Amino acid sequence: MIHPTEILLHVGGVHASAEPVVIKTLLGSCVAVCLWDPRVLVGGMNHFLLPEGGPNGPQDEATRFGVHAMDRLVGEMLKLGASPARFVVKVFGGASVLAMPGPAAAVPHKNLEFVRGYLAREGLRVAATSVGGTLPRQIQFFTASGKVLVRRLVTPRAQARLAEEEAAQRRARARFGDVTFFRGGRA
Amino acid sequence: MSATILIVDDSATMRALVRRALEADAHAVVEAAHGGAALAALGSTTVDLVITDVLMPEMDGLALTRRLRDDARFRSLPILVLTTEATPAVKERGRAAGATGWIVKPFHPDTLRRTVQQALAERA
Repeated sequence: MIHPTEILLHVGGVHASAEPVVIKTLLGSCVAVCLWDPRVLVGGMNHFLLPEGGPNGPQDEATRFGVHAMDRLVGEMLKLGASPARFVVKVFGGASVLAMPGPAAAVPHKNLEFVRGYLAREGLRVAATSVGGTLPRQIQFFTASGKVLVRRLVTPRAQARLAEEEAAQRRARARFGDVTFFRGGRA
Repeated sequence: MSATILIVDDSATMRALVRRALEADAHAVVEAAHGGAALAALGSTTVDLVITDVLMPEMDGLALTRRLRDDARFRSLPILVLTTEATPAVKERGRAAGATGWIVKPFHPDTLRRTVQQALAERA
């Protein structure tokens, strides 16, 4: 048996592929959305930390955040010839891992609320979910078949490490894209 | 300076995000989900500036830009591309298509508003 290439997705990551690959990620309070187009066999996944608006208030929006993570994922799928009308959508994550301090406690719920609202607004129907609860999830998305394997992480050490990593990411500053003005007009 | 601005993006969520930023500067906003819908909107409404995504299921943002530059009515209409595409090669395609400027997502609302004001001020 030939094993397909594995791609590991971190917080803020987006990957889509027309080749048969396995996209893997580890989720605590974060959410990952898998999109799959069964006609062209293109699959993609993102992994985001917060719905929108980071620690510096509602102005602090970046790729790590849901809106842009979804936007990038759909864009990458379109580039590979996928069509939103055929998207099979699966949603994972949003667990309340360990005791999250202060306002962070609301993050898993907010992430799930955001993704449900987003998908409804874009007219995308959800085919499957594994969300909520208290255990982190390891996700493996097979882009050839659209199948997703979910494994829950039960060891306290793995949970503590993931919770700390996500907390550090939430404190990090957002990065934004740049602006270019074209002078001299059309070539 | 408040203006009428056409937002072209296939994502209703992204259009809402852009609309929120622009309405803070009292701009009037018109929305279209793809290039074809944008052309229809431009046929019935006078706009001062267009903000367009690149990757869209029907006519994409660069094809829309070329169509507008080929039309004498829209030759000097400011067109800002707002996209996750950030490579120099794609930006060059945007310049060649006739875009006024290129904003890479994720965007900061204040940067978007400043860029729109600058494009309106520099309008021929």
